Amino acid sequence: MTKIDHSKATLDSAHSHGVVPDVSRAARKTSFDVEDLPVPTGREEDWRFTPVSSLRSFFEDTPADGHVRWVVDQLPAGVSLTEVDPEEAQGLSVRAPGDRVSALAAKHTGAAMVLDIAPSVEVAQPVEIGIKGTGDNVRGQFLIEVGARASATVILDYQGSAKCGEFVSVDVADGASLTLVVVQECDQKSVHLAEWVIRLGRGSKLHSSTATLGGALVRMNTSVAFAGEDSRADLFGVYFANSGQHIEHRTFIDHESPRCRSRVTYKGALAGETARTVWVGDVLIRAEAEGTDTYEVNRNLLLTDGTRADSVPNLEIETGEIEGAGHASATGRFDDEQMFYLQSRGISEHEARRLVVRGFFADVIQEMGVPRIERDLLRTIEARLEDVDD
Amino acid sequence: MSTSPGGTPLTQDEAIASIGTYAYGWHDSDAAGLSAERGLSEDVVRRISALKDEPEWMLARRLKGLDLFRKKPMPPWGADLSGIDFDTIKYFVRSTEKQATSWDDLPEDIRNTYDRLGIPEAEKQRLVAGVAAQYESEVVYHQIRDDLEEKGVIFLDTDTGLREHPEIFEEYFGSVIPVGDNKFAALNTAVWSGGSFIYVPPGVSVDIPLQAYFRINTENMGQFERTLIIADEDSYVHYVEGCTAPVYSTDSLHSAVVEIIVKKNARVRYTTVQNWSTNVYNLVTKRATAGEGATMEWIDGNIGSKVTMKYPAIYLLGEHARGETLSVAFAGEGQHQDAGAKMVHAAPHTSSSIVSKSVSRGGGRTSYRGLVQILEGAHGSRSNVLCDALLVDQISRSDTYPYVDVREDDVSMGHEATVSKLSEDQLFYLMSRGIEEKEAMAMIVRGFIEPIARELPMEYALELNRLIELQMEGAVG
Repeated sequence: MTKIDHSKATLDSAHSHGVVPDVSRAARKTSFDVEDLPVPTGREEDWRFTPVSSLRSFFEDTPADGHVRWVVDQLPAGVSLTEVDPEEAQGLSVRAPGDRVSALAAKHTGAAMVLDIAPSVEVAQPVEIGIKGTGDNVRGQFLIEVGARASATVILDYQGSAKCGEFVSVDVADGASLTLVVVQECDQKSVHLAEWVIRLGRGSKLHSSTATLGGALVRMNTSVAFAGEDSRADLFGVYFANSGQHIEHRTFIDHESPRCRSRVTYKGALAGETARTVWVGDVLIRAEAEGTDTYEVNRNLLLTDGTRADSVPNLEIETGEIEGAGHASATGRFDDEQMFYLQSRGISEHEARRLVVRGFFADVIQEMGVPRIERDLLRTIEARLEDVDD
Repeated sequence: MSTSPGGTPLTQDEAIASIGTYAYGWHDSDAAGLSAERGLSEDVVRRISALKDEPEWMLARRLKGLDLFRKKPMPPWGADLSGIDFDTIKYFVRSTEKQATSWDDLPEDIRNTYDRLGIPEAEKQRLVAGVAAQYESEVVYHQIRDDLEEKGVIFLDTDTGLREHPEIFEEYFGSVIPVGDNKFAALNTAVWSGGSFIYVPPGVSVDIPLQAYFRINTENMGQFERTLIIADEDSYVHYVEGCTAPVYSTDSLHSAVVEIIVKKNARVRYTTVQNWSTNVYNLVTKRATAGEGATMEWIDGNIGSKVTMKYPAIYLLGEHARGETLSVAFAGEGQHQDAGAKMVHAAPHTSSSIVSKSVSRGGGRTSYRGLVQILEGAHGSRSNVLCDALLVDQISRSDTYPYVDVREDDVSMGHEATVSKLSEDQLFYLMSRGIEEKEAMAMIVRGFIEPIARELPMEYALELNRLIELQMEGAVG
């Protein structure tokens, strides 16, 4: 590997050719070899918002001191949960890890879990899995395989206090349909860095909802690749950050096949000193992805002073033959007019705030498709709001 | 006389033959005096400073710029700049030894250039208040209307500004954009030459736009102009910068720094329509500070160049300051327009608006890259960002990278972007009315950028429309 000395950039012409920026989001390095993914400094595009200095142990190539535990009541017919060794997991993954933490998670996972839904099976009952972690250096990889023309709802419920790096591969085969619900309510001290890589086959469907509420530092880095044409992906996200929390969501929708449709809608609320959220939504429409239809929305509601919300919807488009592409991002406080209207109807300020927040999140929460979880989530958010009022 | 520094005679016919469809693609024979040396060294920097007879502090600043330029890495984001070879660029070219005071004093070939740009006509029609014509790195012609001088308005080229108003200069030079702000700002600080220096005294409103015309005319020559505008309290000025450059076969670098200080309740509008030839790397740092109740407006058109990286910034430092950026970018074959805007809200009740429109065709790439930052304490601030991109064919590219960072709760920030292809319905409708496809496409594009074109001075709006038509040629079929 050549090292470039920029101090000589003007003195030696060979050195003035040092840096060529990535041509598109797809050009970022992916590898199972940890050596290919150096320890980030915090200046890299994909780490610039993350407090990397507090994550040193996550980047060290050391064996894990613990693994995540999967808690499953019972599995419906056609659904199986098995363990595979890291090598086999590597072969099954839809692509290699895109950052050092997930590469280390794959390397030191011990056994990787594989949730398999057999082809053509329609699983009526949601498959519910509790994921619990404890330990200061937990690494894990798991895989979800949805067979051709199968359909299922998978609920992942994260709990525990672990400092955990995780690599998740999801393969939705041709004609299959996956509804994915990820609820993250870890302890306030936990740190969770996860990379999700999802591949959608031809004519397949993904409906994914993520609720991130717990943890001191959570980073969910999700990539969805349209490997076949005529597929559809809907990604919804809800997050709530209080004092001392850093909640970061990154999504990357790679339109590499024609006539696919994607919608990304993330909404977050922030309350309390140092509450911090980051949302980076990348969309790439490749030259061959004619007929693409994509839209992304991020909204942030600032409930108190001292919070910080970053919102970056990036769009890269390599063809003009598209149905449409767009994004919208808005960050602001309570709508004074709405508050005034409600209060003028005799509703107390406290109650008005509750209603406005409920209204803000309602459309995204309703998309989860599992009534019990929707109810729990609204309750949790309202409880968090009560804390703010004090 | 008609020999370029490389020793190859370049006739006007040859130059014209190499031009293609570029609108202003002629060039005069290369008569530049001090243009022989390529590459950058401490010696070159010292010589530039000595030739200009500069004060010691400016030389020190230049040397610091050189040091920081060498230390700073190339930006790892944005456009591909690997084609720039800093060793083959000329960092200082002087075309005549002293400044001319009337058109007749100018050398004939330089006068020809300006005649073709239509400056004397513009003068006659009193469309311009003063013309600082930058020719090959140094201002050679300068004229300012008497009434402006009477009002105390200073409008000079930057070299003269430093000589005649050292006290204003030392106070403000580098105060908005520090030496080491970025690699190219450091380079500019080391080798700057020319540019405009404007001071508008308190309460003075300059009611006609101040204009400057720029040209690059020496092969491989860098243009590093430095512009400093100070609008004192309650004043107003509109500055118009236009760039045209002839076509050459090797890559060329333009790296300007523009600093603007808008004081309390003052307003500055800065308009650029950039039409560098398609071999120029246009890497420009533009930044303004706006005090209490002040308004800063950037109107930014990017039509030419091979690569442009330019993100005019406004730091809203006083309460109720307002910032506005309107930008339009057009990328044709082989072009990458990486342009955008930056708004930093650092005081309460500040507001900003960014409207960006871009058109890509023929494999060209436009990128909107922006940052809106609302810092702690900037309560009651509002910002709105709108990006629209139009893709004319299947092979072109459009990107949007809008960074938003909000650190205050009592604010409102919105961003929206849409990317669309040229509507076949609109095209069909226009063609069914008997309008040819080529003209119909040009009409749609003109309609798309109209919200920005109407903010331009009339002659610029006309030029923009003409440039768009030229750019759209060959877009059909």
